[in-house]
Amino acid sequence: MPADPLSATFAALADPTRRAILSRLALGETSVLELARPFDMSLPAISKHLKVLEHAGLISRGREAQWRPCRIAPVSFKQADQWLGGFRRFWDESFARLDGVLEEMKVEEKKVSARGKRRVRAKEK
Amino acid sequence: MDARVNSKLKVTTPSDFEIEMTGEFDAPRRFVFEAMTKPEYVKRWLGCAQNPMLACEIDLRVGGAYRFAFGGPDGHVTTLEGIYTEVTRPDRLVFLERFSMPGFTSDEYQVTSTFVERGGKTTLTTTILHSSKENRDGQLNAGIDKGVEPAYERIAELVATME
Repeated sequence: MPADPLSATFAALADPTRRAILSRLALGETSVLELARPFDMSLPAISKHLKVLEHAGLISRGREAQWRPCRIAPVSFKQADQWLGGFRRFWDESFARLDGVLEEMKVEEKKVSARGKRRVRAKEK
Repeated sequence: MDARVNSKLKVTTPSDFEIEMTGEFDAPRRFVFEAMTKPEYVKRWLGCAQNPMLACEIDLRVGGAYRFAFGGPDGHVTTLEGIYTEVTRPDRLVFLERFSMPGFTSDEYQVTSTFVERGGKTTLTTTILHSSKENRDGQLNAGIDKGVEPAYERIAELVATME
């Protein structure tokens, strides 16, 4: 494993082909040949992506069979998920409260403008 | 990840150095801008149950400083401190920020917030640009809540948020 496994995880996830590979693996383990099929890519190119994913601890590859089945490694996903989770929770909660503050600001402005109109009408009389 | 299904917040990592957050608000942008830059408003919404806001000081002008402090579950205080480098009311805000907690102060990173209004609704996009990938990952890492066990089944959701 690299010195900072979480950095490797996020670098691995930054590539759309690798995310597509992971989406496929989320359905169940499969072979490199099977994985390569939907992509317009050579087997060596796919193998390179798999190495990055394996290095990041996102997938593991079986040793038991000739075709070395690829599968998702849940531990790294948990870490990455927790990571975004804390950040999201902070901002999600904050933004939910911000919605409330904005509603009050809108109501307040309506009151002010209604008072303004009443004043204008009073002057006209 | 958040438990709510209709989470209004989108978090992505558009490059190795960036974190981008997008939020939608049902209000004109002049209100969103005010709510994000006046202490009397900021105090009322910024923070979460685990990290309530303790202090909020804002000097909103180019070169002006701000300081936000948050409490933590084990009593430690986390602060966000920075200097405004661009203040264009009500459409853009840029600042240089550092994040500190006991025993750790981050490198400086740049935050750009843009406020786009359409049909009375505002889209707020905040991009946090770090000087290195390690620093970016460190910031995300700081948000970890070790008490929560997110579901492994959420893998598809996690990948989706990064697209």
